[in-house]
Amino acid sequence: MKPDFLKGVRFADLTWAGAGPFSTKIFSDFGAEVIKIESSVRLDSVRTGGPFKDRRFGVNRSGYFASRNTGKKSVVLDLKSEEGRALVFDIIRKSDVISNNFGPGAMDRLGLGYDAVRAVKPDIIYLSMPMYGEDGPRAEMLGVGMTISAVTGLMWSTAYGPGDPVGPGTHYPDHAANPYHAAFAVLAALRRKRLTGEGMKIDLSQVESTINFIGTAFVAQAMTGEEPPQASNASGEMAPHGIYRCKGEDAWCAITVGSDAAWAEMARLMGEPRLADDTRFASTAARIGNREALDGIVTTWTSACEAGEVAERLRQAGIPAARVANSRHLVENDVQLAGRGYWQRVEHPELGNSLYASPPYQVDGERVELSRPPLLGEHTREVLSLLLGLDEARLDALETSGVFK
Amino acid sequence: MAALRKPKQPQPYDGMRILDLTHRYGVYAGKLFADLGAEVIRVEPPDGLPDRAALPNRDPRFAFLNANKKSIVLDFGDPRAEARIDALVSSAGAVFIERDGPLYDAIGRLRAANPRAVITAVSPYGMTGPLADAPASDLVLQAAGGIAWMSGRIEREPLALPFSQATMVGSIYAATVTAIALHHAEATGRGHLIDVSVQECIAHSLQNAIQVWDLEQRISIRGGEGTRDATEDIFPCRDGFVFLASPLAVGNSWKSLVAWMVEAGHPSGKIFSQERWSSREWRLTREAREEFRTAFTAFSTLFDKEEMARQAIARRIVMGPASRISEVIDDPQLAHRDFFTQVEMEDGALVRFPGAPFKLTPQVWATARAPALGEHNASVKELSS
Repeated sequence: MKPDFLKGVRFADLTWAGAGPFSTKIFSDFGAEVIKIESSVRLDSVRTGGPFKDRRFGVNRSGYFASRNTGKKSVVLDLKSEEGRALVFDIIRKSDVISNNFGPGAMDRLGLGYDAVRAVKPDIIYLSMPMYGEDGPRAEMLGVGMTISAVTGLMWSTAYGPGDPVGPGTHYPDHAANPYHAAFAVLAALRRKRLTGEGMKIDLSQVESTINFIGTAFVAQAMTGEEPPQASNASGEMAPHGIYRCKGEDAWCAITVGSDAAWAEMARLMGEPRLADDTRFASTAARIGNREALDGIVTTWTSACEAGEVAERLRQAGIPAARVANSRHLVENDVQLAGRGYWQRVEHPELGNSLYASPPYQVDGERVELSRPPLLGEHTREVLSLLLGLDEARLDALETSGVFK
Repeated sequence: MAALRKPKQPQPYDGMRILDLTHRYGVYAGKLFADLGAEVIRVEPPDGLPDRAALPNRDPRFAFLNANKKSIVLDFGDPRAEARIDALVSSAGAVFIERDGPLYDAIGRLRAANPRAVITAVSPYGMTGPLADAPASDLVLQAAGGIAWMSGRIEREPLALPFSQATMVGSIYAATVTAIALHHAEATGRGHLIDVSVQECIAHSLQNAIQVWDLEQRISIRGGEGTRDATEDIFPCRDGFVFLASPLAVGNSWKSLVAWMVEAGHPSGKIFSQERWSSREWRLTREAREEFRTAFTAFSTLFDKEEMARQAIARRIVMGPASRISEVIDDPQLAHRDFFTQVEMEDGALVRFPGAPFKLTPQVWATARAPALGEHNASVKELSS
């Protein structure tokens, strides 16, 4: 299905890079008109960031860009020019939402600060999502997603053990907490606008948003006064609980054993039923206390078997287990994702028939079909003519004077 | 730090009732709605939804994820409860259900009771497919969805993310798609059924790993060798760790960093001024990573986190402290924004909670403590009718 659930909602979308466009993508995927206003001089960093089709650079060849911008329209305007800015204001007048993820003050410098925008569109929903918020002593700190992991405690807590932090291997806050907290806030603002007729300003500090994503750790710290443990893959409530080496190169299986009965079942599967009665492992507390010996025994078993086989046998016995999947496995071999039609291919003039993850749910029993991402500036003339009513002569004049860049 | 009262301004989800029967992977979704004004009611069997049994009383996880919800008790096994369930469902805009919890197998009935409602079903692997009934856990779903693969050191096992991230990712997708479906359902009177797979949610959060495989046949892997600049990592300083990112492509971060070392007369400034550090390709190699780590650590360990943060801001270097949780609560920026809030527990004690994930003007966000089992039985009229 190509859902039209958000038909009639229009964005003037100035977001770029990772987190911002990921949050507006969900709107275009559900039928909103998301007008991505970009620059061909200062390109969106994911357009230049790759990966690229055939490993060949091109502003329309980045798979990363494609995955964050499905179904949007691209309008190229020189925001530094007076005419360019005037056109942006004309688009804003006809939009419900204006969105950006620039650093603090950048929108003001473009003449697009909240007050300026509200002056022309009193009921605008204005989304900003700078790293640390709009103002304050660290507002000017520069960061990428991993910096957000660092200053929130997420990096410290993603660790192999006490004092040995590693941090998430991706810019994780950019890919879950921040885009979707932002999207949720915009959806809430849209409902409030329907109730009251009023707009709203959303100042999403990506740090504050990410702290909510690890909010249980903060409440635990507040209740106990203690720093939450750097627990690695281990659990304070279960053992075995970890990622175990399997047969083959860099092959791993995650296993969690939640009860004595499950442990007895696993011992039987390992061909060592007597382990269930071994006093070192007879209770959860005992297994946690003897975790090192326990993990050694489990590894002896898993390292002789294929990861998929370990996972399958344990699952059959009712024990949660899964191969640690990499991207290739997910795309080529994961029967569950394939069985639910998770992957889709979308035609694109420069990317060819490339691969996309579907929105991670089915709606009324169907997949949300994605529309391809826009070429740079593909919709400039279309939007200015259909939405703003500019005629061909005017468009040509603007083009000649270099406003479309 | 102030306890937030319910705002005087109208809240976004005023007048919206949501029944919440989640107990693990969907639990955070209801909190997001509740803090913006929805009446979110946990509908629980007499001994509570499974998360109450699994977690001790006043457990921080339960307290945070269920903040601001109500709780009523219903004996799902009792045939007399059926009319009450129907009445409740028909009073709701949305119903969250979850695998291994009540009413997950009663979707037809829920939809018949209220065709205008959005029914959101959260499950580890989705409602269909060969693993629809497979046992799961947070760690296992992080493995199955592909995020566990992405973290850790290359010589060690992959490292999952802490603090129940399968729950958080599953819940935030469930919340946003439910809000979208509600937008449509309220406008048209037609409800929707949403089938959220947590595995898919995780697989949707892998940065660009899927495209890297599809377009370049490379597998993104933990440790970042071959994909991450030598500078992009966590490094020790005098009192802990900092995270640095100074690849050549990121503004002036690299130039400023080297200039600082040179200015300080530190020998590492000379090392990083050598020609090979201007090669992007070389900077991706293991050799570059090792050389950078040694020389940068010799410099970074001279300073504490506070000083590093100050210098990072002044010199426009992409760098920040890798704070402990108990340090984040004293972060001067968060204090300036009055981010943390206080929630009054049943016994009157005030506990510090994270404030809103987004600062809204007008201020329409507020939270409150999680409910005791059945605390709101008397105030929900569909229960007595």
